[in-house]
Amino acid sequence: MFDHLKAVWNYRHFWMSLVRMDLRQRYRRSALGIGWSLLHPLAMTAVFCVVFSSILGNSDWKTYAPFLLAGLSVWEFIRNSATAGCSTFIRNEAYIRQCPLPCGIYPLRTVMGAAIHFLISLSVVITLVTVLKGNTASLRVLWSVLPAIVLTIIFAWSLATLAAFATIYFHDTQHLVDVGAQFWFFITPIIYSRDLLDRKGLSWVADLNPVNLFLELIRTPLLSGEPPALTLYLQAMVLTGVMLGLAIGTIAWLQRKLIFQL
Amino acid sequence: MAKIELHDVSLTFTLSQERRVTFKEYLIRGLFLPSRNPRVVIHALSGINLQAVDGDRIGVVGHNGAGKSTLLKLLAGIYPPTAGSRIVQGKICSLFDITLGFEPDANGWDNITYRGYLQGETPRTLKKKIDAIAEFSELGDFLNVPVRYYSAGMMVRLAFSIATAVEPEVLLIDEVLSVGDLAFQNKARERMREMMASARLMIMVSHDLHSIQSLCNRAIWLQQGTILRDSSPDEVIAAYTGSIAPAVEHHPVGAPTESVTGDVEDSVPAGESRAAA
Repeated sequence: MFDHLKAVWNYRHFWMSLVRMDLRQRYRRSALGIGWSLLHPLAMTAVFCVVFSSILGNSDWKTYAPFLLAGLSVWEFIRNSATAGCSTFIRNEAYIRQCPLPCGIYPLRTVMGAAIHFLISLSVVITLVTVLKGNTASLRVLWSVLPAIVLTIIFAWSLATLAAFATIYFHDTQHLVDVGAQFWFFITPIIYSRDLLDRKGLSWVADLNPVNLFLELIRTPLLSGEPPALTLYLQAMVLTGVMLGLAIGTIAWLQRKLIFQL
Repeated sequence: MAKIELHDVSLTFTLSQERRVTFKEYLIRGLFLPSRNPRVVIHALSGINLQAVDGDRIGVVGHNGAGKSTLLKLLAGIYPPTAGSRIVQGKICSLFDITLGFEPDANGWDNITYRGYLQGETPRTLKKKIDAIAEFSELGDFLNVPVRYYSAGMMVRLAFSIATAVEPEVLLIDEVLSVGDLAFQNKARERMREMMASARLMIMVSHDLHSIQSLCNRAIWLQQGTILRDSSPDEVIAAYTGSIAPAVEHHPVGAPTESVTGDVEDSVPAGESRAAA
């Protein structure tokens, strides 16, 4: 295990340069590059704002827009890590066939690309909150959000690793993940607030939802300007630890079989 | 100090008839039952014992599918042995499938960087080599073009230039002596000779028996995944060519296989089934 980590570190130049390339290709040749890829959450935010304020009579878009964008940023990051994680080994097959690299590198490449994108959209959220509220509360609470972001990235890497191994055994995993994500999106308080579930007596849906935990740790402080409770952090650490353990266990179990399954 | 030690190494591929299964099929068609998804077991390598130390130049000969390339990939660490132990000490440089694994949308320079890092270079050491690599490839302005638009020959030039820019201790070569056009081939041959001279330990697979005779001081004859002979190149090559005399009609291709169908095990004569190894 320690050797695996050391090897990942030894090859850092390799995967970091690939992450850089992935990003360059994503944001290629335009000033709009980054804006273009942020368009999806921004457009979603705009659409939901219009729909909710005109149809449901929720007219307070100034609080709703940052709420939605923050939720979507966290959600998109986790979802992208899982779906892109599925194709990770297949995308990197040429490297796997050529070099005995530690196989944790490949999900890392996928997730780091998504993570940089995630950080960019979070900075848009912070700007939005600061401008709309006219105070710097979300900037001052940033220190307490940073560990949560690190935890989210570790969680996403574990998820991507598990998805990647699942895909080499079952080639429709990505399809299943897509369907699952669609469902998960609606049971997670992203487009509506948690109160809605509480009022219907469905608090347990949110309580048992791992994504909600990361929303509470990242979205809530950024919007309210108050650091999250310590117990939430403990829960997130336990959750991330379990996922990390699962991912590392899977690597230890299946990494020698990977080449034979491709 | 470079060293290779294989103790009783076997490599067995278990291939399922149904590859790339989806979860849906797995459940609906019951592919988890061995009878629905018969497996073929291929003994790509069996009971290989090999010791090599500094100064050894080993040539590997054998029919197609005898396990030559598989042996090299096992030595490089790509295939883990399914039985036995593998010890390889020293920095490995492997020259096989060298055109695999380019990032098609990145240009030549960037690909040199990725490959370089993959071979264990750091930004500092690569900086010293990158110009030499570019010069050796003779690709000039094409290095600014995405690799996607390269011809096969240009790809080989670039791959070869990068792959041979390292100073390896253990050199593993699989049939790459014929690369690129005629002019580049001479250059490549020269570079290969330099590398072979500087590497401490070399193992090459080739069907060109002359180059094995001139470059190696030891030869191995592989057949159906086992070592038939391990001795001086002249002796092994004489025995190998002798076995291909017209009198012998049957040249078994591939490794021994067996199909596993549920509890019933019946072995198929090796010559009849094609091996993917």
